Amino acid sequence: MRYRVNPDLKLDLNRFGVKEDWQDCFHCGNCTAVCSLTEENILFPRRIIRNVQLGFKNKLVTDVDPWLCYYCGECSETCPREANPGELMMSFRRWLTIKYDWTGIARLFYKSLPAFLIAMIVVAIGIIVIGITKDFKAEAMMEFGHKFEKYVIYAVACLILLPNLLRMFWFVILKNKLKVPVFAYISNSLSLFVNLFTQKNYLKCEGDTFRWVEHLLIVIGYLGLLVITVFFNWFNTDSETVKWIGYIVGALVFIFTFDFVLKRSSKKRESSKFSHPSDWMFVVWLFLLGLTAFITRILVDAGAIENNLWVYFIHLIVIAQWGLLIVPFGKWTHFLYRAFAIYFSNLKQAALMK
Amino acid sequence: MGDKIGICFYDSGQGFSDYFNFKELYDYASGLPQVTKIWNTTELDLKSPEKINEQIKEVNPDKMILAGDFPGEIKNLFVSAMSLAGKKAENIELASFVEHAYLNGQSTEMAKVVLLCAIKGVDIRKVLVPDEVDVHPDTLVIGGGIAGIQASLEIANGGQKVFLLEKTGTIGGHMAMFDKTFPTLDCAACILTPKMVDVGQHSNIELITYAELKSISGVPGDYKVTIHKKARKVNLATCIGCGICSEKCPRVAPSEFDAGIAMRKAIYIPFPQAVPNKYLVDEANCTYFENGKCKVCVKLCPVPDCIDLDEKDTDVEITVGNIIVASGFKPFDAKRIERFGYGKFPNVLTSLEFERLINASGPTGGNITFRSQDKKGNWIFKDGSGTPSKIAVIHCIGSRDENYNKYCSKVCCMYSLKLAHLIKEKIPEADVFEYFIDMRAFGKGYEEFYERIKQENVHMIRGRTASIKEKDQKLELRSEDILNEKIIEQEVDMVVLAIGLEAAENSNELANMLGIPSSKEGWYNEVNYNSNPVNTSTGGISIAGLCQGPKDIPDTVAQASAAAARVLQSIIKGKIQKSIKDIKLTDVETSINQLMKK
Ligand SMILES: Cc1cc2nc3c(=O)[nH]c(=O)nc-3n(C[C@H](O)[C@H](O)[C@H](O)COP(=O)(O)OP(=O)(O)OC[C@H]3O[C@@H](n4cnc5c(N)ncnc54)[C@H](O)[C@@H]3O)c2cc1C
Ligand code: SF4
Ligand code: SF4
Ligand code: SF4
Ligand code: SF4
Repeated sequence: MRYRVNPDLKLDLNRFGVKEDWQDCFHCGNCTAVCSLTEENILFPRRIIRNVQLGFKNKLVTDVDPWLCYYCGECSETCPREANPGELMMSFRRWLTIKYDWTGIARLFYKSLPAFLIAMIVVAIGIIVIGITKDFKAEAMMEFGHKFEKYVIYAVACLILLPNLLRMFWFVILKNKLKVPVFAYISNSLSLFVNLFTQKNYLKCEGDTFRWVEHLLIVIGYLGLLVITVFFNWFNTDSETVKWIGYIVGALVFIFTFDFVLKRSSKKRESSKFSHPSDWMFVVWLFLLGLTAFITRILVDAGAIENNLWVYFIHLIVIAQWGLLIVPFGKWTHFLYRAFAIYFSNLKQAALMK
Repeated sequence: MGDKIGICFYDSGQGFSDYFNFKELYDYASGLPQVTKIWNTTELDLKSPEKINEQIKEVNPDKMILAGDFPGEIKNLFVSAMSLAGKKAENIELASFVEHAYLNGQSTEMAKVVLLCAIKGVDIRKVLVPDEVDVHPDTLVIGGGIAGIQASLEIANGGQKVFLLEKTGTIGGHMAMFDKTFPTLDCAACILTPKMVDVGQHSNIELITYAELKSISGVPGDYKVTIHKKARKVNLATCIGCGICSEKCPRVAPSEFDAGIAMRKAIYIPFPQAVPNKYLVDEANCTYFENGKCKVCVKLCPVPDCIDLDEKDTDVEITVGNIIVASGFKPFDAKRIERFGYGKFPNVLTSLEFERLINASGPTGGNITFRSQDKKGNWIFKDGSGTPSKIAVIHCIGSRDENYNKYCSKVCCMYSLKLAHLIKEKIPEADVFEYFIDMRAFGKGYEEFYERIKQENVHMIRGRTASIKEKDQKLELRSEDILNEKIIEQEVDMVVLAIGLEAAENSNELANMLGIPSSKEGWYNEVNYNSNPVNTSTGGISIAGLCQGPKDIPDTVAQASAAAARVLQSIIKGKIQKSIKDIKLTDVETSINQLMKK
């Protein structure tokens, strides 16, 4: 393939609010060598910065490595040009998310905050309309909510997430013409699941154990809450065990996301220095999700839900916005892509070894 | 005239607003009757010439003045914008504060002069001409490195009197520490030592060592300088340099001349070829100054009353017409970058330490050995403690780095290549690795020197190291090989850090005392980058060598000779220009009026 220097990419990245510090990079290689996640055939961020500088879009879109970076910030702190390599990696993941998304909606949302906000409002109005048709009756609303959650999950998974993952697979494996041994697909699938739930690669970044633990607890809390509400009908269950598990996971979610919000606003950590609106949206909505679920269940236990239905109502709006917008088109996908990136990266290594 | 004049202020954001009060300049300009309208680029949309034209066309200035730190940056935009309004490029005038006011006094007052000249369309060089006054024929040179030595000899050989002031106990500066110099690989001492001896013996040079500038008063051409002489405690006139005192002195301290890799006594001579070739006492490390006892040196000295431990510091006053500042540099402190383990791992050295280690006149006789501890626990280099077989040199330590110094130190690429060559000369089978970002081989014979070192089988790796770890007495370097996109984890026995150059200790104090402008980094500023690289905006004060900015020995010597030429010029003429920086706005107004009348 022939490459040409392509200045468009710069403009494209500008639209997603990427600061242009990366242009200062003079390729000393410090960042790649200082990063604790680089390996023999896994080299970033300098290699990626170079491709960005030259605008090699085709090469970049097939690159799985940006997902392996956990933004510990070590590279940005020690970069002699203050080129902020870590920040570029993070913003670049946004660009990749858009490339993977077949609908083009992610692109629209990242590019234009108003578009996203309008979508959020439309969803909220939708829920209100449904509320009106149900006469704001607690029982009917909750029944609807329960079904709604289930169908949204199936629909988003089948229509958006799965096709996007397949696109990712197409870009990073098939387009690179990698001949992956069949056995590798199977042997690496276990680690895929481990990574999906634990994001254990974090631990390789020195000194970040606490951040990882926090992260893990949120993932556990979030997935737990999902399972318990969707498959065990937490709001209406009679089982004491289910009820208490629900309380615990719900609390995990809002307590730790609250801490994340605090850290992001203090901007102390390298990774919190530059926040895109989508980053804020993600943590704040996750926090609201956990909190409103928790209070709803308390109200149910206290038999006061009928009079305080607005709490559940807000919960439903948050859930709908979360499930219909943030999960398929926002930052949520990063966790999915990240886990799969490790899987694909392992496949790539297996292919290269052969 | 009736022409409408517009001014547009522009701050490029490179920090020069610290020097110039833009608000005051704005107010000054708006008070001038010729000025029709003032803009600020912050309130203009600079996207395209069309946009600019739209915003200024209401006023439609006949002449546009772009005023700021680097107004040239926006000139092209305005040339196009003005041409849209049918105006020619000549109608744009630059008022460049950095070019004319930053180097000439760094004041808002001077920036006003620049602005006024632009408005009046007068060449600033024609009005910034100070009056001439009589000059005293004696000269003071501050700093006895190669720059100060060269300048002193030039003037003294021209028949004029020079006072050479040196802070330490000997002249020679950094060059005296080197074995060879790039790119010719000439023996440094063979060039320097004869010059030092000349200085010591010259009837026109009065050498004042172990002394510093205390205060200065007077005017250009007639400076009264007070010099603070630290007590040497050894009589310069009678000491015969036998060294008996030193032999038996019980106290040691790291040798400054050996960059701390060997110890010297409390009564010592900096190095055997020192000028003056006399001993001195280091108060801070002498027992007598701790408890009043010892005095072994005094008892053993064969010359009566030569050592006087109770000698006190003295001040001397001299009058000079010209001053040349040649105070040199200080090396970057490698401890500041923890990732490289300097100060923690014994066999991570700075280049300056390595210069001493590899020097035939150094503590190991030029044998490259490992650092080891002496009986008292001091980490030193001595002969016979093993020979490294793999040595890495890492470039750009503390230079070209936003976290430390932004600038390139200019000499470290080349001296690193020199060190690689010297290693190969001493241990031909050794592996030498040069880790660099860019190889800066500027100038005559330098690229060829680089090629030659490559031929000597030195491993060149493009990619500066990120960190050094110690593993079983070995040092492991982790770097990215940029050319091959691979991580290299290389095990070596010894690492040399190519530390950069920084402005000398207390360089700002000296600048303040002398009233010469310096840059943020502490380098002294010349009047003009291109046309006058030796004079400062203070009359009668010139600069030479490293104190003006990073440069190698050939450039240092050239600049020192140039500074001497300026001094001799003024002495021959008997006249010297006063300070440019003292020229007042009112003086400029008068001279502009005179020019206009002509
Ligand atoms: C490791 C290393 C290797 C190098 N190798 C080479 C090489 O091979 N070839 C080459 O061309 N260049 C080389 N250089 C650069 C070279 O050292 C400089 O170009 C040269 O030394 C500059 O001379 P100078 O007289 O301006 O400064 P200096 O050598 O620093 O001399 C300044 C003198 O002024 C004195 N002084 C300082 N402040 C005061 C004060 N306030 N009052 C009185 N005296 C004062 C100091 O004590 C010193 O004696 C090397 C530099 C380093 C760090
Ligand atoms: S550390 Fe900075 S300058 Fe060096 S390669 Fe990385 S981004 Fe570029
Ligand atoms: S932020 Fe951390 S993980 Fe990401 S590239 Fe930089 S050093 Fe590596
Ligand atoms: S008096 Fe001081 S300088 Fe003299 S021998 Fe004793 S310690 Fe050394
Ligand atoms: S001369 Fe070479 S080693 Fe020194 S700062 Fe410049 S590029 Fe770096």
